[in-house]
Amino acid sequence: MRLVRLNGAFLLLTVAVTAPALAQQDTTPPSPAALEQRLEELDQRIRVLDRKRELAADSAAAAAKTRASVTAGSGGFSFTSADKNFQIRFKGYVQFDGRFFHDDQAPLVDNFLIRRARPVFEATLYKYIDFRVMPDFAGTAFTLFDAFGEVKVRPELNLRAGKFKPPVGLERLQSATDYRFIERGLPTNLAPNRDIGAQVAGDLGLGVLSYAVGIFNGVPDLGNGDAELSDRKDVAGRIFFVPFAKQGAQAAWEIGIGIAGSTGREEGLPATPGLAGYRSPGQVTVFKYRSSSTTPLTGTVYANGPRRRIAPQGYINYGPLSLLGEYTISRQVVSRDTGATRTSITLEHEAWQAVGSFYLTGERASFKSITPKKNFDPANHTWGALEVVARYGQLDFDDAAFTGNRYADSAASVTKEKSLGLGLTWHLDKNIKISFNYDKTSFDGGTATGDRRDEKFISTRFQTAF
Amino acid sequence: MRSLFTLGTALLLGGAFAAPLEAQKPVTLLNVSYDPTRELYKSINAAFATYWKGMTGVVVTVNQSHGGSGKQARSVIDGLGADVVTLALAYDIDEISARAGLLSADWQKLLPNNSAPYTSTIVFLVRKGNPKKIKDWNDLIRPGVAVISPNPKTSGGARWNYLAAWAYALRQPGGNDASAKEFVSKLYKNVPVLDAGARGSTTTFVERGIGDVLLAWENEAILSIKELGPDKFEIVAPSISILAEASVAVVAKVAKKHGTYDVAKAYLEYLYTDAGQEIAAQNYYRPRNAAIAAMYAAQFPRIPMITVDEVFGGWRKAQATHFADGGTFDQIYLAGR
Repeated sequence: MRLVRLNGAFLLLTVAVTAPALAQQDTTPPSPAALEQRLEELDQRIRVLDRKRELAADSAAAAAKTRASVTAGSGGFSFTSADKNFQIRFKGYVQFDGRFFHDDQAPLVDNFLIRRARPVFEATLYKYIDFRVMPDFAGTAFTLFDAFGEVKVRPELNLRAGKFKPPVGLERLQSATDYRFIERGLPTNLAPNRDIGAQVAGDLGLGVLSYAVGIFNGVPDLGNGDAELSDRKDVAGRIFFVPFAKQGAQAAWEIGIGIAGSTGREEGLPATPGLAGYRSPGQVTVFKYRSSSTTPLTGTVYANGPRRRIAPQGYINYGPLSLLGEYTISRQVVSRDTGATRTSITLEHEAWQAVGSFYLTGERASFKSITPKKNFDPANHTWGALEVVARYGQLDFDDAAFTGNRYADSAASVTKEKSLGLGLTWHLDKNIKISFNYDKTSFDGGTATGDRRDEKFISTRFQTAF
Repeated sequence: MRSLFTLGTALLLGGAFAAPLEAQKPVTLLNVSYDPTRELYKSINAAFATYWKGMTGVVVTVNQSHGGSGKQARSVIDGLGADVVTLALAYDIDEISARAGLLSADWQKLLPNNSAPYTSTIVFLVRKGNPKKIKDWNDLIRPGVAVISPNPKTSGGARWNYLAAWAYALRQPGGNDASAKEFVSKLYKNVPVLDAGARGSTTTFVERGIGDVLLAWENEAILSIKELGPDKFEIVAPSISILAEASVAVVAKVAKKHGTYDVAKAYLEYLYTDAGQEIAAQNYYRPRNAAIAAMYAAQFPRIPMITVDEVFGGWRKAQATHFADGGTFDQIYLAGR
């Protein structure tokens, strides 16, 4: 720096001294003392300019610390206050799907659809208070999926209230952008989707043990509820053990195991039964309770008593290999009125699945989304990450529902579905993935003449998430 | 199945409300101070932590924030959570009281010596051999003399510099406000760089090699010589200077909110103890305690000093006349640019 400064000073000195001299054609050389003084003055000027530039830079840096910052990246967009205590985040995702039924018979329609189109608005206020709003604009109806506030007292204690996922199904608790297949597996049929309520949750021991317990309006299996049918509420809870959580990314194994459940009581009516229909991997309804469209709806089955779910669950990730398993039982007392006669029964449906995946390109598997080792960049001959996935699952409906076809019609509803799925997912980068799945599902019952025809479902997805 | 639900719920609720047992809690204070006090409070903080641990068993940590005094006061007014402020002049603490209401207006009465536990003054630091032959204030306005002083808008030390120069001009034969303004105006024409604080000006003069004379806090000037060697700089004591009373106060509202009021008060009271006064002297501040001042008298040059009260009618008036927006400093400096 000093050398540069002196060189600069010398250059300026040369110009300063020689220019007037040349102009005046004065050939008298300046005295050494005058040169030295001039050199000193110029050196001081340069030092002053350097210092002013340094102070301006300091000033700009100090001002930056008090200014709000804007960031944009693979995780979305955010505005953050200078003290980091306030933040607004904008994220979102869109899923464009293709659904094709091979070797099918009407009415299964091959189609393209926007499966999800969800902007996500999140904010942090006063460092400890979060809120999140996530609507879905896919399809013909606007649906509010998440709308909640959360007070983060400490890692061990968070208080959440609003509409969100009750802590029951493992795959349900996984983000819609992260699970392995295009559609969630069969046990998700028996878990609540979204509900309105309040929850206490937290991580103990740096995440080794997490818990959540909350009180909710209560929704049917697979339900996304905005209204309550009765005064009765559901309590849902989950306890989950992640033994290597403290080691974080250093741990060779990522293991999580836990149990979740809910208990409550639903008191529906024939007009508002409070019961679910259940789906195949192709999102075709394969089981529904009997209903009547004839007023006074005689013969419609409705929820009328305790509803309980229990869901042991877990996952293991080791290197590029991932295994996830869950087993869910959903029990509900239902009633059916025929004339003046009411009959009731407790029905227990159960489902399980095992899901495996393997990154052919060597990425480390995770319960959450992954970042490819090399992003898709054709110019540099890198292509992202490639993942193969497989799963097997069953959903077994309570045979008692079909006794005398009283609660479900065996000609229209299956008693069991067994599904084998295979797939390939190409993660172009953290934000974009393209999936191809094939699910073959066989059914017990479901038609007047025996078993429903196998569902051979080919699905594709182009997902953009940020 | 029912028992499984019961067990799960009990486990969850138990985990949620279990709170760790806590021993006697350590205390953390934030001392928002002015620029050149880094070394002083590094020593004071360590000594007070030992003293307080011995007295009460409580571990206390004092975090520091330093900058130009006016700028620091503005930060506290804007929400910087200071438990105590130790600023270059009383006016800056008055501003915290008046604008933010974080402490009472009579804060100066809460500690001895108007809450100014040590003093200093303004001296000249020149390069070894004093090549520009600078001996007094009138040498600072000579053409070709580059004077380094921070910005009075942000620095407490700079305001002391400015007022000392003004007071010198008033005392010259025929001196009045007009001649003083002209004198100070000439002086600031010789200031090539305005740093935000006194430490920044020291950097400009000492490390960046700019200027012929630094108007410096006496403690800062002595420290520069001690750290960089007497072969590089020397101190020139002018014929007159100003008694610079650096003030301290507990930011009562903040400290009470933090639950640190008692510790904060004890921290400032410690500055008046023999140990505190000796540490101040060892860091080249003039102690209030006469006995300790006598012990360290040799390190301080004898300089006649005026006070803000006697020449300028107090800080509030001086601030309004000279340093408020549109005041004399703005008239002088902006006109000179």
